[in-house]
This record gives sequence, C-alpha cells and structure tokens, in this order.
Amino acid sequence: MNRRTPVVELVLCAICLWAAWYRTPAGALVRSVGAWMLGTRTTARPLLAYFGAGTLVPPRPPPILTGPIPAAQALAYGAAAILDGRPAEVAPRLREAAGQLGSDDAALVAVFCGEDAARYAVDHARSSALDDLARALPPRSEQCIARAAQAAMLGGAYALGWPLPESVRITSPFGVREHPMLGGMRMHTGVDLGTAVGTPVRAVGAGVVRRASSDGINGRILILDHGRGVVTTYCHNDALLVRDGQRVERGQMIARSGSTGRTTGPHLHYQIDLAGEPVDPLRFRAQHPKTAAGPTD
Amino acid sequence: MQWNVAERVGRVRWIFLPLGLCALVAVGAHASADVVGDRVLWAVDRVDAFFDWIWSAWSFTAPLVDLVGLTQRTWFARAVALAWELAADALIAIPMLGYGERDPAAEWKMARDLLRRTRSPLRMVRPVATLMVALAGAFAVSRMVQGSMQLSLHVVWLAAIARAALLVTLLVVLVPRAAFRSLEHARTARHLVPAAVVLVPLILAAVLSLR
Repeated sequence: MNRRTPVVELVLCAICLWAAWYRTPAGALVRSVGAWMLGTRTTARPLLAYFGAGTLVPPRPPPILTGPIPAAQALAYGAAAILDGRPAEVAPRLREAAGQLGSDDAALVAVFCGEDAARYAVDHARSSALDDLARALPPRSEQCIARAAQAAMLGGAYALGWPLPESVRITSPFGVREHPMLGGMRMHTGVDLGTAVGTPVRAVGAGVVRRASSDGINGRILILDHGRGVVTTYCHNDALLVRDGQRVERGQMIARSGSTGRTTGPHLHYQIDLAGEPVDPLRFRAQHPKTAAGPTD
Repeated sequence: MQWNVAERVGRVRWIFLPLGLCALVAVGAHASADVVGDRVLWAVDRVDAFFDWIWSAWSFTAPLVDLVGLTQRTWFARAVALAWELAADALIAIPMLGYGERDPAAEWKMARDLLRRTRSPLRMVRPVATLMVALAGAFAVSRMVQGSMQLSLHVVWLAAIARAALLVTLLVVLVPRAAFRSLEHARTARHLVPAAVVLVPLILAAVLSLR
C-alpha cells in the first residue's frame, strides 16, 4: 500500500489488463466492441468459447472412413483428421509423447502445442485432463489447445461402440428431413434405429450418466458424458436401468428400448454431440447399418 | 528539467489503477466461473429435465420442451455461466473504476470504520466476494506470467521466481485496494439480495480456483 511505487503499480496493472484482455469473455467483449467501432477485425474468440479453458470448440466433420479403426488407433485418427495428416504418421508421435508425459491428453498437447508446452502443463496442472492442462498454459495457446481438444473429441467419438446390435436398421438418418409428425423440414440431430420394445441398449463407451429423465417429447431419455466433450444421447426408451451421476462401462446395459415420447413406433434415437454440437454418428463408423422404412420421431 | 519517471507515472495513476483493479477482478471472476463450468452444466441439466417433465404434461405446453432441446442444452449452460460471470463483473469489477486514490493510513482507517458500522451481512457480500475473486485473479495472473516466461525464455527458476514475486506484489499492492474500494462501494450499493444470489456461489467458486 505504499504510495511511492507508481512504476510497480503501473507494471502490475498492465499485466492484469493483458491477462483480462486475452483470457476473459469481458476482455473479448471489449476487443470485439473496439474492433467494431474501428471497423477492423477482432482476434477475440466467441464469448462462449472462453469456458472449459477453450477446449469446447466443435470440430469440423471428419473425413469419411474407408475402413474399420482399431480401438488403440482412435486418437491417432482424431489427431490426423485435425492435422490433415495420415494416422500412421501421427500414431507413433502420440505413442511416444504419451509414454514420456504419462497421458493421452498430454500427448495431444505435445503434438499440437509443442513438447515444452505439454511438459510445462503436466508439471503445473491440477490433473492430466485436457481442460486442466489447458488452464495451466499461458494466453495465446488458445488455438493449439482448441485443435488438441478437437482431436480428442474426434478420437473419443471414433472409439465409441454402437448401442444396438449391428443388424438393427436405421429408420431415419442424421440431417435435414421432413418431420414425420410435425411436418416441415427440420434437422434430425441423431439416427433412429428401429427395434422392438425391450431390446437392450448398451453404453457405447465408458462415461457418467448426466441425465436420466422422462418427458413427453424425448420419452425416457438418457445422456452419457464420455469426457473430452463427447456426449451420447438415447431417447424413447421403455426403461432406464441407470441413474443420474452413475458411472457406466462400455457395453453395459443402460436401458431397454421403447416407444415413449413423441414417436411413430418403437425405436431408439441415438445421438452424438461433440462440444455440444450434434454430429452424424455414422461419420465415425466404417460399416453402416442398413436403412429401412420404419418407426421414427 | 529533472526527468522523474515515478513522478510522471504517478500523475496518471488515477487512470491505470482503476483499470488494473477492474482487470484483476475480471480475471478472478473468469477463473472462478470457469472452474465450476461442469457444475453449471449439471445444474442446467437438472433444471431443464424438471421443466421438460412439467411442460410435457399438457399438449399445449409440450412444444416448450424443444425450447431448450438436447442441442441447445450445452449452449444454454455455457450462456448461463457467461451471464453469471458478466453479472459478477458488473457487480464487483465495474465499481473498481470508481477507485479514488487516498492516503494509505486514511484508507485503512476508512476500512475499519466501515467494517465497524456495517451491520447487515448482505452488505458484506460484495467486499468478501471482491476479496476472494481478487485473490483468485492474483493466482491466475501469476500463473499466466510464469507460463509465458517459461515457454518463451525456457528458464524454469526465473519463471518460478517471477511468479512468486508477482503473486506477493499483487497480494500486497492491488488485492487490498480492490477490497477497500468494494467496501466503500458496498456502503451505498443497492439490490443486495440479487447481488448475494450472484456473488455467494462465486465466492465458493473462487475458493475452488485458488492454488
């Protein structure tokens, strides 16, 4: 509280302004308004992208798969899709970095932000989760962190299984379609799998139940959080076999399919969200189930 | 003519000190809000599930279920976190811009007087929140400086010393000023209950973000 230290105070204030300028939504807001007033382009990210330590940026759709992906290679495929490279080239780099740094998330930081940054993040983060690693890194690492997070999301999605037997047919694919009950062109945010009431629905990957509830539109609905921004949703079930907050393993029976909510008949609506954006689940599978006319929502 | 840097800088202290305090609190508010982002999403999910159950009970309210559908849920949760943070900025960061320099002895005396005269716990929410959030901001800023120095200079010990020195200096020079200014502002502040609703969770989040 010494009044005779104005230079120190100036330096401190400048550092605080620098941190707020680059690391807070309020700073981004000021930058955006300033750029708008001056008629220039802002370098600020969208305000909502400042949460999750900048790891919640949805990736662009990945390339179409030409063959099945071995489970151990899923992350390499995700990283290769972001780097526009070949999985065979990325996999050894990821494997080596994971061996040195102790986790896949740290390996992704090494590949996208550099080994020094990854080592520093590992030494200073609360945990080895990607968002904690990102929080340990200084401002201006946002772009490489966003790309690492996108690779993690795609890798996580590539590693997912399928909720029903492969023989179950798709009755309504992902994308814009005429709504069977409400009419008009609407986005269908998942795939509908026509199956009999009571068919076991299995978790496509390990995760935590984020929602197990019921309403008149989605019926008995289950949402699983698989981490790294990957979330899967299962709607119109007849019965839910897990509860909120419960940890589930890959392949575990989590529900029995049904026809609850707004449907034309028994089916499972299966949806994958990456950073909150729905993506086509078939993008992450080399073999697509056959399609057929049938119940939908 | 004598060229005295400290004197010249001191003349514009009234500009940079309020801005610096405001920035410090804004950084702390973001560090705090970000650390509980998952919990906000969890809470929004619970509230959304409850309202979906209510809306779907009648056919004429059923379309409201899609108002915050499966896709908007995550966006909505992040928007809630953003609104919370910006509300906190408005309540405790923006008032920092009204900081007026005074003698340190007078500042301590004023703080003691205000503390003695403040009877309502609701009036203490803003100063306590400002203190905790400014602490969180000091930790966050010093972490950022350490990271920037280490990754640009590659000298581990220098970055660690810089962090420690910056943290201590912020704790001594800026954090108490932020708390004093908030105490002064709280004396005449209105909307005490809504402010408490916004700021009490932020105090808890700020504690979680400290390290």
